[in-house]
Amino acid sequence: MTAPFLVAKGIAKRFGALTALSGVDLEIRSGEVLALLGDNGAGKSTFIKILAGAHPASDGELVIEGVPVAFSSPKDAAAAGIATIFQELALSENLSISENVFLGRELKRSVLGVPFLRRADMRQRVDGLLKELDAHISDPEAPVGSLSGGQRQAVAICRALNLNARLVIMDEPTAALAVAETRKVLALTRRLAERGCAVVLISHNISEVFEVADRIVVFRRGRKVAERLRAETNPEEIVSFITGAHPDVRALEKAN
Amino acid sequence: MNRIRKLQGPALILALLALLWIIVILVLLVLKPSVFSLGTVTTILQFSTILALVALGQAIVILAGGAGIDLSVGGIVSLSAIAGMLAMKLGLPSFLLPPACIIAGAALGAFNGVLVTKLSILPLIATLGTFFVYSGLALALTGGAAQSGVPSWLLIWGRGVFSGIPVPFLTIAIPVFAIAGIVLMWTAWGRWIYAMGFNERSARLVGIPVDRARLILYSLSGVLSGAAALISLAWLGSGRPNIGQNLELESLTAAMLGGIAILGGRGGVGGVFAAVMLLVTLKTGLLQLNVNTVWQVGIVGALLVFVLLADRLSQNWR
Ligand SMILES: Nc1ncnc2c1ncn2[C@@H]1O[C@H](COP(=O)(O)OP(=O)(O)OP(=O)(O)O)[C@@H](O)[C@H]1O
Ligand SMILES: [Mg+2]
Repeated sequence: MTAPFLVAKGIAKRFGALTALSGVDLEIRSGEVLALLGDNGAGKSTFIKILAGAHPASDGELVIEGVPVAFSSPKDAAAAGIATIFQELALSENLSISENVFLGRELKRSVLGVPFLRRADMRQRVDGLLKELDAHISDPEAPVGSLSGGQRQAVAICRALNLNARLVIMDEPTAALAVAETRKVLALTRRLAERGCAVVLISHNISEVFEVADRIVVFRRGRKVAERLRAETNPEEIVSFITGAHPDVRALEKAN
Repeated sequence: MNRIRKLQGPALILALLALLWIIVILVLLVLKPSVFSLGTVTTILQFSTILALVALGQAIVILAGGAGIDLSVGGIVSLSAIAGMLAMKLGLPSFLLPPACIIAGAALGAFNGVLVTKLSILPLIATLGTFFVYSGLALALTGGAAQSGVPSWLLIWGRGVFSGIPVPFLTIAIPVFAIAGIVLMWTAWGRWIYAMGFNERSARLVGIPVDRARLILYSLSGVLSGAAALISLAWLGSGRPNIGQNLELESLTAAMLGGIAILGGRGGVGGVFAAVMLLVTLKTGLLQLNVNTVWQVGIVGALLVFVLLADRLSQNWR
């Protein structure tokens, strides 16, 4: 097995008196889809917000390819190759697909200090990315406002790819999608991993997770209570981890 | 149901404005055929120059979203004109009058920008406040009296006419609109303005310097108002402390009429330019028909309400 892209060691997060996360150890590998599961309030979003640089951890450290890092903003995380696709996507519906993919880091040609857009180059690059993802979007100049939910996820994923992200984090990407669109997004997720990206996926849908993930991690009350390769587990076991019915979890919770 | 608004064709807005414009002209022709002469065209374009610059500033501030609006534009025009004239009285060499007006405008606009971005005051309230401060200051500094003494070389430029078209219109209004159009459509800055105007949160997430951009846009609105003040000096030959009166209403109407969405992120400057022409033609026509100025303001106000209503309805229908 290859060395992990990112290692989280003993991550803890406290909001005042509330401990949202404690002692989370996790390895995230390139080319692998890692699913985070857990009940509401288990700490999944808090954990990825720490990875994304949106929250500082109260304790613990993050190591990327052997180098300890400290993020003070989402920009730092992006510079380290971590792209987060939040559930609300953060796209500008009044701009075109290619403008969204490049928003904030446009390809430009400076004339007297004025950054003129290289539209043709941007279009071509986005065209390539969309083809590669097999996203079934023909026109990169179409406004994002005219796209379906799944197509928007594809645009957001394109954006992450274009940032050359090494780790793509997706928080419930299929929560608002219908069946066909969900299929497409799951296929995109697999394709990201095949390209060599590390992918972290949060979902409440267990069958979906079993379809797409290589490894499954369960959070419960701010702790990591289980980590399984998909091939070595089954939905029943995972559900028992989530609900706390599994003997291991019982033992763990009794110990504390 | 898909409520997402598509980008409205600027062509559609331009066509509608042209149609309205033709109607206004036809009505005028019927009511008072003698109105139409080259002189009237020159006057319309001269008034248009001032309104066009101010409306452009208004438009970019609204376009950038965040409930952006600049109610102080009229105050900035009055106060920049007065500031320039008073500075000359205090010994500023006359060749520095143009930069003085522009810099005054920039400073007053930047102050609005600071109130909005640094102190997070709602733009409507912040610029309403500075509107009173700026226009009040212009009156207070002069006691209401017009300030004479505009250098004659400036008048030559300001009153010059080239084949019926005022020179300031040719040398300022047209180039400024062309530049604004190019920047909005063809540069990364333009895309950032549209992005932050439509969805500020996402613009921040992708790293667009939203606050800095907004501060710059309010300052630019001030610069454009300062330029309008300069043109008023060069045309009228004196600095009048109330020269900017009603410009906030008219510029807002022009921006809305020209297709700038009040919530930001949608619209272009071509429509604003056409709307300015329409408004000034309408006003000039009303003046020629001896319609009381109070009524003129009322009509512009009614037009504004009508445009906002149309915008609202088209949103619900789509
Ligand atoms: N900014 C915050 N301030 C205070 N408490 C917070 C904050 N963010 C999260 N929490 C708390 O931390 C705990 C974990 O929340 P988190 O959002 O990580 O859960 P989650 O696993 O993502 O749940 P869900 O499945 O509902 O999204 C919760 O008890 C929540 O109330
Ligand atoms: Mg969550």
